[in-house]
Amino acid sequence: MDVAPLPALLLRVLIGRNPKRTLVRIIVLAIVSLVVCKFVLVPVHVDGGSMLPTYRENGFNFVNRLAYLFHEPRRGDVVAIRLPAGEHVMYMKRIVGLPGETVAFHKGQLYINGKPLNEPYVKLPGNWEHEPEPVGPDHYYVVGDNRDMPWDDHVHGRAARENIIGKVLL
Amino acid sequence: MKEWSIRVILLAAFVALGFWGWHGFFPSPETVIRKRLDKLAKAASFSSQEGLLAKAWNASSLGEFFTLDVQVTMDVPGTQHIISGRDELLQAAVGARSTVSSLTIELPDIKVVVAPDKTSAVVNLTAIGKVSGQSETYLQEFRLRMVNVKSDWLINQIETVRTLSERAVAGISC
Repeated sequence: MDVAPLPALLLRVLIGRNPKRTLVRIIVLAIVSLVVCKFVLVPVHVDGGSMLPTYRENGFNFVNRLAYLFHEPRRGDVVAIRLPAGEHVMYMKRIVGLPGETVAFHKGQLYINGKPLNEPYVKLPGNWEHEPEPVGPDHYYVVGDNRDMPWDDHVHGRAARENIIGKVLL
Repeated sequence: MKEWSIRVILLAAFVALGFWGWHGFFPSPETVIRKRLDKLAKAASFSSQEGLLAKAWNASSLGEFFTLDVQVTMDVPGTQHIISGRDELLQAAVGARSTVSSLTIELPDIKVVVAPDKTSAVVNLTAIGKVSGQSETYLQEFRLRMVNVKSDWLINQIETVRTLSERAVAGISC
């Protein structure tokens, strides 16, 4: 049995039998990866503790940009929200209030249209107080899961539908 | 390779070179503004290695990025503050440098809208600040108004932005 010398074997593993075909495969793979990462599943690095303990700091995740192609965002969805300047930095928050609803906090409990909302994902409760606030049309009220933070330090509020770019996958 | 294909490749390379050269020698206002803001981020960053004199000198170098009558409206948790004029801004910058040992500022997102007459521009940007010794990074959105003064783009107005804010955002426009 002939044993190919190591460099030739390595070359075949790296380039394949047909270098032209391998080159085409690499180009196709690169294009598909770029398209998927830009328009379908956007890889994100989680920074900050406002979504603790659901999403830990320095975690890695994906945003499904096609999630709301056929239906609108739903309560409980964790979404990525684009900032006016671009998409390198986004907010990652949970939708708690839908368009037309009223959102309030009393002793840390979230109230939607005056009724308390069960939030099993909140493991770090706080004692937030916030007057009832209407959510406008085409807007969603978003907030993080970590309610143990001071109200002012926690970024939350109304996100325009057009700024919600997708649903966090995992 | 046939002669005509070599010519096509050479022509394409020539066009690309011309395009690159044109944009290098005559950058668009948007490109100039982006470069200027990147320089500002570098000038505003400082390390713990800097001595007091260097800190003061580097803080004063920030002045070249602002107009004399610059107005800064800060509305962040715990602070609502208006800074009027370049001198007051530089004083604040020197003061800020004495409170933390080092700071790194990055501007990952910059969106520039230049007015049709190209004399002013509105810039939305996202700034990330990292302070040495702290694992947490600070994120802040800003809206800037920049004006073209003798071919130099200077910052004339700065305000903090809260995308998810309950408050309406004051309007900076070109």
